[in-house]
Amino acid sequence: MKNLIASTFLGLLPVMAGATAIEEAPWAPRAAAYRLTLFMGNLSPVPWDKIEQSWMSPPLGSDLQIEAISRVSEAEAQAIGRALDSEDRQALFEASTAAIASGILRHLDAAKAALGQPKAASEVSQAAALFRAFEDGIKAADAQAARDLGRAWLVLNSSLGSAGVLGNGAQNVDADRFAEAHSVVADYIRANYLPSEFAERKTLTPIPETVVRSGTPVTLPATLPPGSNIADQRQLPRLVLQFEEAGEDEANLPLVAFGDMLFDSPEIFGGPARELGIACSTCHNRSDVNRDFFIPGLSSHPGGMDVDGSFFNPMFNDRVDDHLDTPSMRGIRFTAPYGRDGREPSLRRFIRNVIVTEFAGKEPTPFQLDALEAYVKQFDFLPNPKIDRAGRLTDLASDAAKRGEVLFNTEFAGLGDKACASCHTPNRQFRDGLTYDIGSAEPPFPGGTPTAFETPTLRNVNFTAPYMHDGSLPTLASVVDWFNDTKQLGLDEAQRADLSAYVEAVGDGEEPYQVFDGRDSVFRLSWEELTTFASTLDTLLPMQDAENIALLVDTVAPDLAADASVMVNQTSKPEIYEFSNILRAVGDASANGNWGEANRQWELFKVMQAEIDERMF
Amino acid sequence: MVSRRNFLATATAMLAMPAMAAANQGLKLAFIPQENPEKLLGDIKVITKWLTDQMGVPVTGFVTFDHAAAVEALRNGDADISFMGALPFVLAEDQIGAVPLLSEVYRGQPSYSGRVFVRRDSGIETLADLEGRDIAFSDPVSESGYIYPLDLFVRAGLFTGTGDADSFFGQKFFAGGYQQAMQAMANGLVDAAGASQYADLYLTPDQQAEVKVLAESEQIPSHAVIARPDLDAGLQAKFVDTMLRLNEAENRYLLAYLFGPDGYVPADPTVYDGVRETARRYGFLK
Repeated sequence: MKNLIASTFLGLLPVMAGATAIEEAPWAPRAAAYRLTLFMGNLSPVPWDKIEQSWMSPPLGSDLQIEAISRVSEAEAQAIGRALDSEDRQALFEASTAAIASGILRHLDAAKAALGQPKAASEVSQAAALFRAFEDGIKAADAQAARDLGRAWLVLNSSLGSAGVLGNGAQNVDADRFAEAHSVVADYIRANYLPSEFAERKTLTPIPETVVRSGTPVTLPATLPPGSNIADQRQLPRLVLQFEEAGEDEANLPLVAFGDMLFDSPEIFGGPARELGIACSTCHNRSDVNRDFFIPGLSSHPGGMDVDGSFFNPMFNDRVDDHLDTPSMRGIRFTAPYGRDGREPSLRRFIRNVIVTEFAGKEPTPFQLDALEAYVKQFDFLPNPKIDRAGRLTDLASDAAKRGEVLFNTEFAGLGDKACASCHTPNRQFRDGLTYDIGSAEPPFPGGTPTAFETPTLRNVNFTAPYMHDGSLPTLASVVDWFNDTKQLGLDEAQRADLSAYVEAVGDGEEPYQVFDGRDSVFRLSWEELTTFASTLDTLLPMQDAENIALLVDTVAPDLAADASVMVNQTSKPEIYEFSNILRAVGDASANGNWGEANRQWELFKVMQAEIDERMF
Repeated sequence: MVSRRNFLATATAMLAMPAMAAANQGLKLAFIPQENPEKLLGDIKVITKWLTDQMGVPVTGFVTFDHAAAVEALRNGDADISFMGALPFVLAEDQIGAVPLLSEVYRGQPSYSGRVFVRRDSGIETLADLEGRDIAFSDPVSESGYIYPLDLFVRAGLFTGTGDADSFFGQKFFAGGYQQAMQAMANGLVDAAGASQYADLYLTPDQQAEVKVLAESEQIPSHAVIARPDLDAGLQAKFVDTMLRLNEAENRYLLAYLFGPDGYVPADPTVYDGVRETARRYGFLK
């Protein structure tokens, strides 16, 4: 459940207690465009068209639908435009950094001129919104400067004064204090973001110029650009686990439970994925698809991304901007081969490929692969009473769907005298395990063949839009239209509607989304999952398996603490922090080989779990 | 006296001219920004359109700079209704006879508290430990972000009023909002923050685990929707009925455009007695 909480964000939505305190606050348009420029400017190859769009159209992740370029001066706009035209990374960095820095200075000057009027607070607020674009760079590079500047912003806000309400609660303007703090911020900005000359940048970052020039190494925490969404899908998919439906408890299946934990663990990945808290479940939400997942520059639309680009694992960068639609993992034990192009025959090899090549993780141990495989093989489809066990429609399907079933089984010349059902075979979970070139991708060079893709299952397909390997078609009806047009099926409008109705009947599923109500809260689900993961300590502690205990503790303890922020019962939050610390103590003792202490802490953990369980919602 | 220049320049396009609006018998709503006022303009469009459709009378909205401007707008008829915190409401009630119509609901309650937060690793265990140390509050005209947290120190006998607070603390800041005050505390820029009960939710989950509540105030009535006293009673009732429909499942998405409460309940004027009394003690009310 790591991604219920996106813990890497700089700021949170400034709304009162509610459902949205886990999301990143939107950015001011110029700051959003700047941060998108830094992120995408570091991709290889640089997506120049997308960077240009960030300045010339309302940027992603912005709080206003306003073009960033409209908020910079004419000279700044020209400098940014020239850099974009010449595709000059360094020039773009310099021009855009200067535009943000000058914007901060202009807003502060305007605030100074408006002291004593309400407009001054608005100008300070706009300056601070731009300063946010540099803030993590300063914090990582120069802790003292970050503190001095933070205090200066406090003074700026405090010295503005207040008219109170009808004269009550009024506070006087303190122009001297304002001027002093103004100087602190302005001097720093001029020295570090408006220097007479910028040093050459290998990587585009908001690290201050003086620190860059000093050569001091700086570790900048990984960040995603504005408009990114790696939190769980709002409508959380319902997870159907075979053992659970049959009445078994995951806590009795330690290998499966450990695999479940690994599926939710960023610790098995490396590089920015691990740092950002991305796990298997981030994209494959609850065995299905996270249709909200989006990273600007990597995703062409929500629900997928280019998995072999330069950001997550530069070693695996194919230098082609090729967004892949995230496939559902429901029923995955029956849907080999794996990968959209069916390149991996076994689930085990595919899982290893995701961990090591896509997300730069360490080589997983055989036990870890066993566990992950054991877990994902439990993913079943959502039950669908509209089809029987042979994949035939039942009486619950509509007449339109039944007419569509006939069409689905009809051979067409345009399909090489085959039917839709020839590949999406109803009695084989509506797939056939083979790859075909159906013309859905352009060859990368004349005669090139990487254009074949595996037949995807149609089971539960209603919940996995958009469609095709690259997510290029938004609806099932548009898929039917695409086949009708490109394969000359000759279906009229009514027939296409019938065929769509059939696919929708086959693709349906019961209770597709998790329902939360009262005590059955998001946190309760998280609590139950995390304590189940922890239950594998009953197996790992007797084995004195320090490596996997560390992996478990590093995953579960921070998640428990982080997920406390979404508790309905906020009064019990401190208990969760204490509970999480006990688990940490298990990990610490285990790492030191103090197995007696590890076992003692584990017993304390179980006692406390029983004590507080009722309040955990 | 706050002049019309206090209305944001960017909001002027949406300002209904008072005379025209009066002639149309429409409703004019004043909104006070908690964040970006320009974004609020977009939110206002959505909510006023819905209110217009539901009520069958033209409803317009505009952004004011602050509570002072909203109260002034109610006084001079530029606004009929405004969204407002409990403290500015009791001042508006005293000065212009404003009446409460609705109260926001958060987590099932039409009330909340003010808290003093510190970092867990600060070694600060009591309010007295904050003597000579720095604190950030939200705003000088804020109940949960200033007066009620401050009152905790007064009740603990550490000082007697807002004036004495300056000599008790090392430095006292008004950070400009709950989030800014909490971030300043969590980042170690100040030792404590005085903010709303739910203000820790403005921090990242990691930061939330690093802070604790040092003290908590009595319950404060939640933010209110208030009206000028001479607003037509029928129109008031119709507005209240319409707003209560926001609690219905199909309309709940609109709450996100109204500062994001969980819902609304009709206001109970008696719940403000504690706020009136507190406002008097701190010299806000005579």
